[in-house]
Order: sequence, then structure tokens, then C-alpha cells
Amino acid sequence: MNILTDWPAFLPGLLAGLGVSVQVALLSLLIGIPGGLLLAIGASSKTKLVRILIIGIVEIGRGTPALVVLQIFYFGLPASGLTLSSMGASVVALAATTAAYTSEILRGGLQAVPQGEVEAAGALGMSRRDTLRFIVIPQGFRVAIPSLIGFAILIFQATSLAYTVALPELLSQAYSIGSTTFNYLSVLVLAGLMYAAITIPASWLTSRAEKRLARHL
Amino acid sequence: MPPHIEPPRIQEKPLTKPFAIQLESVAKKYGDHTVLNNVSLSVREGEVTAMIGPSGAGKSTLLRCINFLERPDTGCITVEGNQIDAGTNFTAKDLAALRRNVGMVFQSFNLFPHLNVLRNVSIAQERVLGRSRKEADVRSMQLLERVGLADKAKQYPSRCSGGQQQRIAIARALALDPRVMLFDEPTSALDPEVGLEVLAVMKELAAEGMTMVVVTHEMQFARDVSDHLVVMANGTIIEEGDPEQVFTNPVQTRTREFLRAVLER
Repeated sequence: MNILTDWPAFLPGLLAGLGVSVQVALLSLLIGIPGGLLLAIGASSKTKLVRILIIGIVEIGRGTPALVVLQIFYFGLPASGLTLSSMGASVVALAATTAAYTSEILRGGLQAVPQGEVEAAGALGMSRRDTLRFIVIPQGFRVAIPSLIGFAILIFQATSLAYTVALPELLSQAYSIGSTTFNYLSVLVLAGLMYAAITIPASWLTSRAEKRLARHL
Repeated sequence: MPPHIEPPRIQEKPLTKPFAIQLESVAKKYGDHTVLNNVSLSVREGEVTAMIGPSGAGKSTLLRCINFLERPDTGCITVEGNQIDAGTNFTAKDLAALRRNVGMVFQSFNLFPHLNVLRNVSIAQERVLGRSRKEADVRSMQLLERVGLADKAKQYPSRCSGGQQQRIAIARALALDPRVMLFDEPTSALDPEVGLEVLAVMKELAAEGMTMVVVTHEMQFARDVSDHLVVMANGTIIEEGDPEQVFTNPVQTRTREFLRAVLER
């Protein structure tokens, strides 16, 4: 076993896997975060029924492991007539988890906007919707961005769960290389480094984003 | 026969202007605590009304009831002909119609920190009055010029001093062409010297004939600028009338105590 010869040989397969992982993570976030924003706004609805319903959805979403949600969408749903591809099931499951978790992050951000500003917007005659759109959401989002980046990193790592539904992402590529070469240690270490090559710079981004967004606040 | 002399005709001029604001038996409770106990108050067009009194008297709450930032439990509020009875269900449209004529300035300024000064003044014009960005900015610049802050237009509020922020907040409220302005302790968060620049803007506004209701601890302002003085304590108006009259010769013991406490320090 020699990593100098092994790793270059593993690289093309793993890079293809990494591409799939990144794609799943980005799509999940792209769908999940707006979903989380809707849930966060709904959770402070004036209608009690809506509030209870949304808090229920969020709690179930956060309480259920992402792996279980994924298995339900891939193996469970076909029984009710809805069949998703492994890619589809992975994105939907991770997006649902993202929505549930980020709704709490975003709710915290929205609540951090001083009530006085909401009152000022009201006194100026701005509608509730405009106040949310122009005053509360832009500021709440800024407050939430560092936590959102942190969560995005977790979701990227959670794409490895899609290995269980036969999606050719990074971990399953590594596993299939391992099972043909029996070089499990070597290939899994390389896969781990490749995850880290994305997540570590991303967490650097967090502190930079924090500084930049706090400029005027 | 002496010549018949026509008595000189005096131009009939209404001595009393119509009411801009009318509050009728406004009441509000927080749990068991009564904040406002059936308060009625009328403000005429162009009049400056100052509200003074000890803290916890309900001055700010009453002021905030005028534009329903605080919803009274009962009572009827009329501003420039738009009436809302707090006891009944009213729509967002009713509320918008009432607020349309009312500008408000807060103790803590409440500017939008993520928007620059110009956007702070322009945004509600665009969203509420439907002005274009260009029209709104022109109007905003006029108002910023008027409060002496045109050079701050591209700055963010956090870059401005408290006095500047409050003047921006006044410009922001005026941008919607309100017929009534409410001031909730506009200088309380400012040090006395800086407060003067805000008071100067308010005096100018009063001189131009704006209808104003001012909750304040600035006794000099209340005495010199207001046309009508309202003294509140324990959720009611205990005395009101001509400011000079109330200051020099208060009728109520409670008023006398309060004035002694604030004036003789």
C-alpha cells in the first residue's frame, strides 16, 4: 500500500463523488433555507392553529434523524405510490431537515430585530408584509448567517448518509473503491480529507461573514 | 337726521379651529394594572399639545394609543376624520387610513440600521405612497436639508450622533406628509446640549403650524412652545389648559408637587 500511487488512482472516482455530494448539499440548502424562512415566519403567526401546526412540523423535523427521513423518502414512499430517484430522495430528505433546523436559526434572527423598528415601520404606515420584507428579514438574515453557514457545513457532511440509498456520492464512491482494492483505510482517509477540504475553508468564511455583516449594526 | 352709519363689518373668522385629534374615554389595563382610566383629550388643528407628568402616569401609552401602536381596551379615537372604536373589530385598512395622517418620533429613534440615511427616509414613501425611488429621494433630500443633515444622506445611522439620528427620524416621519406629529420623549435619550438641536427642529415645525402632541420632560419647551398643556398622573389627566396658567398657578395639588419637583431642582 502506497499512498503516492494509490491516491492519484482513487482521485477521479472520488472527485466525481465529491461533485455529487456538493450538488446534493447545495440543492438541499437552496430548497431548505427558504422553507425554513417560511416556517420561521409562520411560527410567529397571529393564528394559534397555524402556529401550533408549524411548531409541530418543526419539532418532528428536528426530532427525526436525517437518516430516518432519507430512508422514509427512498424506501417508504414507493409503498404509497411515489417513487423518487436516489438523488431526488436525498435532496428532499436533506431539504426537509434543513427547513426544520434553519427555521429555528432564522426565528432567532428575526426576533433579534428590535421591536422599536417594527413599531416605527408600522407608524410610518408600512404593511406587516412590507415590514417583514424590508426591515425584519434583511436584518434577521444577517444575524442568522453565521449559524446558517455552520449548519450548511453539517448538511454537506450529512450528504454521506445518501450512501445508504445508493447515490454515487463521495462516501459510496470511496466504499466501492475500497471493496474492489481492499484499500479501505487509504481510500477512506482520502475521502475524509476531501470532506475537510470543503468544510474547513467554509468555516473560515463564517467569521469573515460575521465581521462583514455586522458593519452597520 | 343723523346719517345712518353702518357698523364696520368684521370679517367673520372662526376663533376655534376644528379638532385634529379626539380621544374619547380611552381605557387600557395590563392585567390588574390600570394604565389609562377613561381618558378624553382633544387637540385642535395647528395646536401644540405638551403632555407632562411623573413617569408611569400613562403619557406615552396615551400617545401610542393615538396611532394604535398600543391598542386601547375601550375608547374611540378620531384623527383627521378617521375614526376607530377600539372596542370593535377594525380592519388593517381602517388602521392604515388613520395612520396615514400621523407621523411619530420615538425616544430611541428606531431608525433602520441596515439602510443608509436616505433609504431610511425614502422607503416608506415608496411603499406607502407609491412614489418612485427618484421622487422619494428628492423629497427626502429636501427634508434632510431642512433638518440640516443633507450631507449625511449616504451614511448609515450608526455613523450619526443621537441628535442627528433623531432629526433623521423626524425627517423620515415628515416624508409621508402627516397632518399630525406625535413625539414620545424625543430628547430623553440625548444629552441636554444635543437635545437642543432636536428641540430647534420641533419649534420650527410648530411655528409652521403642524399639529403636534409631545410627551416631554423638557419643561421649558412645554412652557414656551406648547399652546395647550396636559398634566397626567395615575392614568388620568389631572389638569389641562393654558401652559402659562398651569405653570404659574396650578389648581391641583398633585400638579403643584410635580412642578415643584421638576422645576426646583
